[in-house]
Amino acid sequence: MNWRAELLGVEAVLVRNALMASRNVFFFFELLFWPIVGVLSIGLMTRFLRLSPEQASFVLVGTIALSVVNVCQLEVAYAVLLDVWSKSMKHQFLAPIGIRHLTLGSWVVGMVRGTAIFALLALLGWWAFGFDVLRPGWLALGAFLLGCFLNAWVVGVAVCALITLFGNRAEAFAWASVNLVLVLAGIYYPVSVLPEPVATVARAIPLTYFLDAYRASFGFASEFAAPVATGLALSALYAALAHWAFLAAVGRARRTGLLLKMSE
Amino acid sequence: MALPPGGTLAAAQRHSPGANMIPMVSFTGMLAIDARDVVKTFRSGWPRRRETPALQGVSLAVPRGAIFGLLGPNGAGKTTFLSILATLLVPDGGSVRVLGHDVVREAGALRRRLNMASGRPSFLWSLRVGEILAFYGRLYGLAGAPLRRRVDELIELCELGPHRRVLYSELSTGLKQRVALAKSLVNDPELLFLDEPTLGLDPDISVRMRRHIAELRRDRAMTIVLTTHYMREAEELCDEVAFIKAGRILARGTSGELKRRIRLGEVIALRLDPPTAAWLAEAPGVLRCVAADGWVECTVDEAEKRLPELLRALHVEGVVVRNVQVREPDLEDVFVELAR
Ligand SMILES: Nc1ncnc2c1ncn2[C@@H]1O[C@H](COP(=O)(O)OP(=O)(O)OP(=O)(O)O)[C@@H](O)[C@H]1O
Ligand SMILES: [Mg+2]
Repeated sequence: MNWRAELLGVEAVLVRNALMASRNVFFFFELLFWPIVGVLSIGLMTRFLRLSPEQASFVLVGTIALSVVNVCQLEVAYAVLLDVWSKSMKHQFLAPIGIRHLTLGSWVVGMVRGTAIFALLALLGWWAFGFDVLRPGWLALGAFLLGCFLNAWVVGVAVCALITLFGNRAEAFAWASVNLVLVLAGIYYPVSVLPEPVATVARAIPLTYFLDAYRASFGFASEFAAPVATGLALSALYAALAHWAFLAAVGRARRTGLLLKMSE
Repeated sequence: MALPPGGTLAAAQRHSPGANMIPMVSFTGMLAIDARDVVKTFRSGWPRRRETPALQGVSLAVPRGAIFGLLGPNGAGKTTFLSILATLLVPDGGSVRVLGHDVVREAGALRRRLNMASGRPSFLWSLRVGEILAFYGRLYGLAGAPLRRRVDELIELCELGPHRRVLYSELSTGLKQRVALAKSLVNDPELLFLDEPTLGLDPDISVRMRRHIAELRRDRAMTIVLTTHYMREAEELCDEVAFIKAGRILARGTSGELKRRIRLGEVIALRLDPPTAAWLAEAPGVLRCVAADGWVECTVDEAEKRLPELLRALHVEGVVVRNVQVREPDLEDVFVELAR
């Protein structure tokens, strides 16, 4: 493997996404507005319901995770969405790069944006509600963020695959379906409160395990034996599946002519 | 290797001493494109499927270093064929080798060596011209100083200097096309596909674009395959053209060869007084006669021979000839004839 070429491909996409992000008017809303609204409204709700500080932390962890995953997955999906919107799909598939360069480059930008939004929301949570993201320690925090980013990668690549498979009319459907999956991941509640079939789905989602592990340090007994390891293993499995699905979708688009249709 | 008159390559190999040592690749290696029986059908629509046969057995060989034109009516399959050659589309059947690579199995290696631009270009709207070129430069493995040099070079070559920092969305059609051409040169390709490169350009810019294309071949020995609806462009630029209609190649050759082969004849246009002479259509050597805009246009087999005969006959009939023009058929006439 030629590492220089690999890195260059990733860098190309990274620079492009970063430039596009810096010129996107909605960037402000994606990065600031909705996450802040989320944390403030959920935080105030915990006050109104007189939740204990632990319970409030439990819910806030969920809100913050949702924002971080959303911002990062959106950026990963930009690997194809930017080109779908500007009808320039064919150029990047004419170039000698693989889909890994597209998704990894966007993922790096997504992680930077995700980390920025996390830092901001952590400060806000601490200032407004006394919520300390560092209470579980740096290592646990690192594992939690890594879990969020891995999930975002999987979801973003799955969206890329769906759009490449069905064209841009699939965009709304793609977002809805993947967000549904996220909501099942025990964002605001432990998996144990879910009815059985739904709980099984939740147990199949890696984010569930990372949330569980992080929350354990806020006084909630872990529901799983080795949550971080399980989360990583599941993430690796889904990452491979999502990558394969995207690859297959691009192959199909080259056969059906959809690649050309999305470029005119 | 010189071919004996009327000889084939295989014959030449048999004649030359040590012929069995000459590998076939020495011939196929001279071809930029070697496509055989390429078939492509688009299937779209749901739940009722619609099938569009876009290519129905296209075979074409293009030598290296040529400028080759693909002509044909709308929907003939030109863009489809170019897309298959450029690895953007996978054919349903047939075999396609481009620069010696199989377009399906060796697409990765091939992509480094070719590039493509179309007359309806589209790039990320909120990137600046320089950023677009740098992005694609990186995708093709350039970085650092070589990348910057390459972008500068392309900006100069395509006369984009004053627009380097302009957002793509703010460019005019002509400038967008120049960005597309610049992008398609970013990897200094050996083979360049241009799909209607002068579409929608004003005459002045079209002339400059054509000059660029001719220079690319001259200075960089690039093989160029282009599609166009402008017959003058094809005549001016292309060494050879092929006519595609309904997914099939109907004819191929230099424009001179095609004109001769299609036997369009030559046109003698006459301004007469009285303005029409119906009997002209029956005169010997006249293939057809049409009246238009006060002119009578007679298509004849051989103008040099028929003009004196016609003038004599008109004189005898007492018809005054006020003006005469003799016109050779151009590629446009060939096109109209073939597209009929
Ligand atoms: N991506 C696609 N999906 C479905 N059908 C397609 C697609 N691309 C082309 N076709 C169909 O295939 C046929 C050939 O189209 P193609 O674009 O190759 O023609 P063309 O010769 O380039 O025409 P034009 O001169 O108008 O550009 C047409 O009937 C067209 O509708
Ligand atoms: Mg076309």
